[in-house]
Amino acid sequence: MATNGVTLNTNSRKIRFARRFISILLKMRKTRPCSPSIEDVRKRSQRIKIAAYSSMAHAVGPRRAWSRAVLFKLRSRARHQSMMTRRSFGLQKKRFVKNNDIPSGQLSQADRLRQLVPGGKAMDMSSLLEETADYISCLATQVKVMQTIADRFSK
Amino acid sequence: MEHEFFLNAGMPTWHSLSSAMDIQGTDQSSDCLLNTSWETSADHGVHFDSALSSMVSSPAASNTNVPNDSFVIRELIGKLGNIGNSGEISPHSRPLLGNAAIAAAATSYNSANTSAYTTPLSSPPKLGVTLIKHLVNESSPNSGKPMPLNSSVAEFSADPGFAERAARFSRFGSRSFNGRTTQFVPNNAEVPYKSNLLPRVASSPSLKAVGSQMGAQESNNSPELANSQEESTVSEQIPNGETGLKGTQDSNSRKRKAASKGKAKEPALSPFANATKVAEANDNSNAKRCKQSEPDGNENGPVKAEETRGSAGEEQDAKTNNTKPPEAPKDYIHVRARRGQATDSHSLAERVRREKISERMKLLQDLVPGCNKVTGKALMLDEIINYVQSLQRQVEFLSMKLASVNTRLDFNLDNLIHKDIFQSNNPLQHPIFPLDSSASAFYGHQPQQNEALNANISNGTVTQSSVDPLQLPPLNGFSNTVSQYTMFGEDDLQTIVQMGFGNRETPLQPQSFHGEEKIMRKSVFL
Repeated sequence: MATNGVTLNTNSRKIRFARRFISILLKMRKTRPCSPSIEDVRKRSQRIKIAAYSSMAHAVGPRRAWSRAVLFKLRSRARHQSMMTRRSFGLQKKRFVKNNDIPSGQLSQADRLRQLVPGGKAMDMSSLLEETADYISCLATQVKVMQTIADRFSK
Repeated sequence: MEHEFFLNAGMPTWHSLSSAMDIQGTDQSSDCLLNTSWETSADHGVHFDSALSSMVSSPAASNTNVPNDSFVIRELIGKLGNIGNSGEISPHSRPLLGNAAIAAAATSYNSANTSAYTTPLSSPPKLGVTLIKHLVNESSPNSGKPMPLNSSVAEFSADPGFAERAARFSRFGSRSFNGRTTQFVPNNAEVPYKSNLLPRVASSPSLKAVGSQMGAQESNNSPELANSQEESTVSEQIPNGETGLKGTQDSNSRKRKAASKGKAKEPALSPFANATKVAEANDNSNAKRCKQSEPDGNENGPVKAEETRGSAGEEQDAKTNNTKPPEAPKDYIHVRARRGQATDSHSLAERVRREKISERMKLLQDLVPGCNKVTGKALMLDEIINYVQSLQRQVEFLSMKLASVNTRLDFNLDNLIHKDIFQSNNPLQHPIFPLDSSASAFYGHQPQQNEALNANISNGTVTQSSVDPLQLPPLNGFSNTVSQYTMFGEDDLQTIVQMGFGNRETPLQPQSFHGEEKIMRKSVFL
């Protein structure tokens, strides 16, 4: 696929992410709110963010630990939502989950990095740095594509 | 009964000394042993001392044919040592043996046999009776008779109480014939004999009791025996001739112990010696370092060896620091272990892990902007954390922006649909119908807001039954109509990716169809 002398690699990570992300955005248009309220915008932005992360994880594939962690989190979330819709008529107990998270001021730098990188809690230092490098490159690609789409839509 | 058996077992050995000696009965000997007031014991001890000393040191008792008495005595002691060790006499040493030598050998043999305690196995063998007779017969070739003993010894042998006293001296006292004969001999000749002696231990408690009584009597009566028994007990009998030797041996052993202690304290007291030992230990490990640097390659081997340091090497440094004495001098030079010294699997794994971490840090340094200025892993990790957080914030911000833009596009899509309806009733010159709202958003075509359209929509004059959004009625009066059949697909994706790579925009070329009765179709992707 060549356009104006620019050869595009369709198998590249950037194009795969762009295809999947735009397709998810077009699917999201089917639900059109009558009045754009703040809550709807928040929900939509949350969906777009999840779509961006999931599309990047699918573009990377299960080769990386952080992408596997993201995909597992999305699947578990989908299962949880399906379970919630099935037993919507039953009594639901509110579960209060205790957050045993140590404040970030008391954490070491490696622990802070483990909290930022998905799936980094079960990594040693060398693999954590490797996953961080790949995650940073993917995040940079994701930000570029999203910035381009937002600029084109806002004109 | 034990006394009788003991005395009967000890008495027959005195037959070989003199035929004129009377052997008393067991009753009398036991009475003599148990008698607490022995009047003549000190006098006989004095005569006995003088007799034995004259037997060795007096020139009258020695052979007059030999010119040098001291030389003969020393030669005799040396030859007797050879005899005791080898069991034979060299032929060239036989003429040197004099009367005094034979008498000394005889008395030492007899005194050795009169001892009630058996000598240990480690003691040197004694001269046999046949050997002494052989020496006596060959020492006087002219006369076939054996050479008579010294006169002083003959006088004491005629004494009836001599046997018991001599036996008592050899059994319980610290004085024996061995000690008496070798009293004036130099210490260097005594060392091979006396260094192997073991303490003699009594085998029966009755002997211990009798020995303690006799030791008390002798210490009360004779001052010489008291002086000699101050250092001896029943369980450990030390001859009087050996006391000086024991003192020298004890002093020598103390000197050796002090020397060994000094050797043990030398590394602690001399830090420079310790430093040299550490340096030698480090030099011995050069082969290991060479083996380590070989798999790394010729180029990267020394660099990696100097880049990181094994944890086992640090542990060895800690050990050397712990062995350093607290009272070390101020000018102590601590020699650190060289890098790459640790070759065990743990340190190699640690080295590989650190190399991996350094490589990944370099990769992250290339990825993260502004990380080249930072030196140090801690600051680099801070920069990486800040950069990841900033990227995640940008993703959130862009998702919010896309959410707001997306809602606006949805409403623009509705407006575009109503605009198409209005354009079917009110024809416009050169109408451009964007087929997709996303295309209008991509290519910068803002929808034209028509006041009449808004008025019609607000008044409700336009009904949906008269409008087919997918199939529009034919437009008359237009020479050029534009029909675009595009979907939000590959072309839009190409433009997005091109904008991502080079920010190039490819404007959409409108296609003009000549004909008035063309049906314009619009496919709206909902």
